[in-house]
Amino acid sequence: MAGFKKSPWVIHYDASSCNGCDIETLACLTPVYDAERLGVINTGNPKHADIFLVTGAVNEQSRQVIQNIYHQLPEPKVVVAVGACAASGGIFRDCYNISGGVDTVIPVDVYVPGCAARPEAIIDGILKAVEVLEEKYRRIAAMADSIDQTLIVPATTEDVAEILALQKIAYQSEAEIYGDESVPALQQSLADLKEDFQRMVFLKAVVNGKIIGAVRGYSEGETAHILRLIVHPYFQGRGIGSRLVREIEKVWPAEVRRFEAFTGHRSKRNLDLYGRLGYRPFKEVPFNAAVTWVYMEKSRNES
Amino acid sequence: MSPGWRLIIYLVAAPLIGGLLAGLDRKWTARMQARQGPPLWQPFYDVVKLWKKETIVVRRSQNFYIFFFLLLMIFTGGLFFAGSDLLLVVFALTLAGIFLVLGAYKASSPYSFLGAERELIQMMAYEPMVLLTAVSIYLVTGSFYVHDIVKHPNLLLSPLPGVFLGFLFALEIKFRKSPFDFSCSHHAHQELVRGLTTEFSGKALAMIEVAHWYETVLLLGWVYLFFAAMPLVGVLGTLAVYGFLILTDNTFARLKWLTAVKSAWAVTLALGFGNILVLTLLRY
Repeated sequence: MAGFKKSPWVIHYDASSCNGCDIETLACLTPVYDAERLGVINTGNPKHADIFLVTGAVNEQSRQVIQNIYHQLPEPKVVVAVGACAASGGIFRDCYNISGGVDTVIPVDVYVPGCAARPEAIIDGILKAVEVLEEKYRRIAAMADSIDQTLIVPATTEDVAEILALQKIAYQSEAEIYGDESVPALQQSLADLKEDFQRMVFLKAVVNGKIIGAVRGYSEGETAHILRLIVHPYFQGRGIGSRLVREIEKVWPAEVRRFEAFTGHRSKRNLDLYGRLGYRPFKEVPFNAAVTWVYMEKSRNES
Repeated sequence: MSPGWRLIIYLVAAPLIGGLLAGLDRKWTARMQARQGPPLWQPFYDVVKLWKKETIVVRRSQNFYIFFFLLLMIFTGGLFFAGSDLLLVVFALTLAGIFLVLGAYKASSPYSFLGAERELIQMMAYEPMVLLTAVSIYLVTGSFYVHDIVKHPNLLLSPLPGVFLGFLFALEIKFRKSPFDFSCSHHAHQELVRGLTTEFSGKALAMIEVAHWYETVLLLGWVYLFFAAMPLVGVLGTLAVYGFLILTDNTFARLKWLTAVKSAWAVTLALGFGNILVLTLLRY
């Protein structure tokens, strides 16, 4: 059954500008154009949407909102930039606060021209987006069967927002184990994570352009510390965590003789994972009433 | 027909009928707004799509509750169509609803939190009327069992017009239709983003949708009980009730939750309790 073709749910965000395209997008839902006859629903909730429809140019205030909404859309997802401003910044492109079109912030799949874009053109754009959606689903379905095609590559500061979002999702299971929301990883801010990038090495696991796992670490003399191994719950238990740890061990030069990692005393999955990779616990440090950190080590020649 | 067969037919036919009714709802709504509207099969396309989507969770356990919501909703309908006790149906239905609320609480987002709280308020508003309906049906037919009630020779509507109207009021809340769609609304309406279902995506959202189909069939089955003595009138009456719910959905704005509780209890007292009072007085 052609699910995606017949049921495109849209979330609509107006980034800035004159609101002309914004109004025209809503006009698509009126009796004259009735986009719902094609199964379109204007959801207002990113977690229910398939298509992210953005109108207007991106400014400093809307940049983070756009990124945030984009990351909350479940895969497969498609971005449609509606109107000249969303495509390139349009008439506002030279303004001091405008960073340009939507594609300066997130990847755009379909561009709808016009100033303002006509409702017919917008509906046309949605139907084009549906084709892209179908294509992406085919790719993801193929990817799910071959998860070993996951790429492990160094992360850059451009990935900060996505890694932080992933970190918060991945650490929820830890918060549940200890019944404690004050796990440091859940409290980390965007600025703090950016600072981590200055002093640490970051690796990310990427499937289909989306980060599904990450790990970070830094070296001190002969010891390298490995921290915050995170994998999206959807992809856990498929060997991605182990691969990330093995890859990050290779990052440091031969002078680094010893690797060190720590996790909470009741995080059985993490303890098992590091155990399988040859890490042995050597000390325990109480962190708070709920959590005791278990430190594990491994020397290079063991691997 | 034996209860076993009825159960099997229910399990297979209920999602089909429920889905088509949901499609009919969207079609009628569109026509009332002078739009063409989506195809009748649209809800099925939506669920198939949702099943293919990635399921994003805040906490993994949140979808566990949704699974039980669906399971209990199917179980509740099963009880009803196998001819079991109406009171048991009411309690099972409430339990199913509670699982949905727990799931929404578990997701710990302000929108789904507020949606869950409002859903509890809605349950508080309609529950007395639904219980009174079961009690008043017992007063007329002498049984709580659905298989006895269906065999009652007279139209239940004629001694219980007040209870019937009160039950319609409860249905309006139960279906989360305007003016009572404040915990989570249908179609393109928005309230608290998506209230109760804000944090559910992919398969979990599909399960909520399918549970809603089962629920629709169960509640309309209950409406049919009022007309059970005349099957043809029953089917038409049930459809008319569904049409009435959609009409009110499209003609009313959303009320505040306090108004909903007050009006629901006032209706329960005046129509439900009043009807039972008159019935009892006439007997003596």
